[in-house]
Amino acid sequence: GPLIFGAAQMIELLPSSSPSTEIGTTSGDIITVTIGATVPTGFEHTAAEEIKEKIGVDARISKDRGRVFFPITTDKLFQVHLLRSVDNLFVVVEEYHHYQFKESKEETLMELQQLASTLPWTNALEVWKQNGTLKKKKGHRRGGNTAKSKPNCEGVGGSMASTEQQELPQENSAPEGWAGDTQAMETSTQDSDETGHGSKLIKFRVTCNRAGDKHSFSSNEAARDFGGAVQEFFQWKADMTKFDIEVLLNIHNEEVVIGIALTEESLHRRNISHFGPTTLRSTLCYGMLRLCKPQASDIILDPMCGTGAIPLEGAIEFNHSFYVAGDNNDMAVNRTVNNICHIQKRRADKGSMSGLPIDTVQWDLCSLPIRTSSVDIIITDMPFGKRMGSRKKNWDLYPSCLREMARVCRPGSGKAVLLTQDKKCFSKAISRMGGLWRKQHTVWVNVGGLHAGVYLLKRTGSYWRCFNKCK
Amino acid sequence: MKLLTHNMLTSHVKGVTKGYPLLIKATEVKVNEVEFNPQFVSRMIPKLEWSALVQAAEELGHRQDLPGELVADYETNEEFLKKVHRILLEVEVLEGCLQCPESGREFPISRGIPNMLLNEDEA
Repeated sequence: GPLIFGAAQMIELLPSSSPSTEIGTTSGDIITVTIGATVPTGFEHTAAEEIKEKIGVDARISKDRGRVFFPITTDKLFQVHLLRSVDNLFVVVEEYHHYQFKESKEETLMELQQLASTLPWTNALEVWKQNGTLKKKKGHRRGGNTAKSKPNCEGVGGSMASTEQQELPQENSAPEGWAGDTQAMETSTQDSDETGHGSKLIKFRVTCNRAGDKHSFSSNEAARDFGGAVQEFFQWKADMTKFDIEVLLNIHNEEVVIGIALTEESLHRRNISHFGPTTLRSTLCYGMLRLCKPQASDIILDPMCGTGAIPLEGAIEFNHSFYVAGDNNDMAVNRTVNNICHIQKRRADKGSMSGLPIDTVQWDLCSLPIRTSSVDIIITDMPFGKRMGSRKKNWDLYPSCLREMARVCRPGSGKAVLLTQDKKCFSKAISRMGGLWRKQHTVWVNVGGLHAGVYLLKRTGSYWRCFNKCK
Repeated sequence: MKLLTHNMLTSHVKGVTKGYPLLIKATEVKVNEVEFNPQFVSRMIPKLEWSALVQAAEELGHRQDLPGELVADYETNEEFLKKVHRILLEVEVLEGCLQCPESGREFPISRGIPNMLLNEDEA
C-alpha cells in the first residue's frame, strides 16, 4: 500500500533541494515566518496599526485588498491570536509578486503541479504544528485549566458558532476547494495510524482563490492539479471536510501566494451567540471602534444596536470606556442581553471578573431618553434599506437620527462613527447639518457583499438649540 | 441597569421640563464584580450629576457612606474611588421601574433593560 507519513517524519524527509529551507527545525529553534491575515476590506490600515501595537512589527498591505502580511518569530506565535481586526490567519509558504503564467492552460497547470515539490514547506509546516498546540491549550474550557487566564485571550474558538451562522460572501469568486476524487473523500476513515510516534495520517485540502482576467485556468482546476501534486509529494490523505491542514493557493493577477491556514473558521462572529438578521462581524466592529479611538471613561452609545455586536466588542476590547446599547425592538434588546450574558458567563468560567462596562436600554432613537450633551461617542450600523426594513424611510429617518445624535453628543469633543450603505441619503442628510456635524474621514467597506461607508464625524462646538421638535 | 446609565437617563414625556433624575423603584437588585480602574472612575466623576447618583444609591439602599458632596482631591483617594466604582458599575437593577418625577409615568425595567418607549400620545 501507499507509504504513510506523520507530520514529524515528513519534515525530516523533505528533499534538501528546497530553496530556503532551514533544516534546523528541531522544535526549540526560533524561526521567522511571514503571516498573512485577511481583514475586512477598507480596514487594512487599522489592522496594520493593531499589528504594530500588539506584535511590534510593520505590516505590509497587499494590493489584493483585504490582506495584510507581517513577519513573526515562532516564539511570539500566540500573539497573532490576540488580534481583533483579522478574520483569518495563514502562514506563507511562498509568495510570487510577478508570476509568469504559461500561455496554455495545460502548461500552466503542469507548472503548478511541479511547483508543489519545490516549495519551501518546512518552516510553514513547523508553524502550523506549533499553532496546533496553541489551539489545543486554548480549547480547554471545562474548568480543567484553572491556571492564570489571559483576559484578552477570549473569543477565538468554535464554541459560539450557532447553527444560524452564515459565512459572508468573499469579494472575489468563491474559493474552490479540492480534496481528491469523491471516492477518496470519505471522512469515516479511522484516525489512528500508529507509526511509532503515535502520529496519525495527515488529512488535507487545497483552497484556491483566483482573481484576474488573464488566467487560462479556473480556480477549480488549479486547486485540483496543485492539490494532486501536493498529495503525491507528501502522501497525505485528501479530505474536504475533516482536514488537518488547509493549503491555500491565492492567485490575484500576477501575485501568487501559497499558504497554510492557521485558523479553522473565521473569527468573524467570535462574540455573538445569538444572531440577528444583520449581525455585523466582530472584526468590522473592531475596525469601527479603533477608528473613533475610545478614551478612558468615554461614554459610547449605539442607538441602533441590533444584537449588540459593536458595543459588546467595545466592552471587551476597549474596556476603559462605558457602552450603552439601545434599540427599539424587543428581540434586539433581548438578544443583546443574551450575548452579553454569554460572554460574562464565559469569563466567569475562566475565573476572571465577569462584569462588563455595558448596559442595554430599549428606546426610540429619534427621541433618546438621554441628557443633552452627555455622550462622547456614537457608534452604530445604520439601517440599510435593502437589508433591514424600517418604519420610516431612510430619507426621513437619517436627518431625525443625526439631529438627535447631535443633541446628546458632547459639543466640541464628541464624535460619531456611522456605517451605512445608503451613502447618498447619508451625505445629503449630513450636508444639511453643517452646524452640528463635520465629516472627518470615510472608510469604504464591504458588508455582506454590499458596498458601504464608515463615516467618522466630529461634533462641532455649537451647543444644541432645539429648532424643531423632532417627531 | 447600572447607576452610571441611570445618571444619563431622563424622562422625555411630552411637555415635561423637570424629567431628571428618574426615580428608581427596584424589586430586584444584583451586585456584580467589575474590574476596578481608578482612572476610569476619576475621569467619569466630572461627567456625572453627583446628587442624582447619591439619590439613586440611596433609593437602592446601597449608598453606604457616599458623601452628598464631592470630596476634594478625589482623584488620588483610592478608597473613595472604589466606593464610586461600586455604585456606578457593580450595583444593577434587574427588575423594577423608573418613574418620571414630574408626570409620574413609569418605565418598566425587565432583565436589567429599562423600556423607555413612549406611547403615541406621550411623544
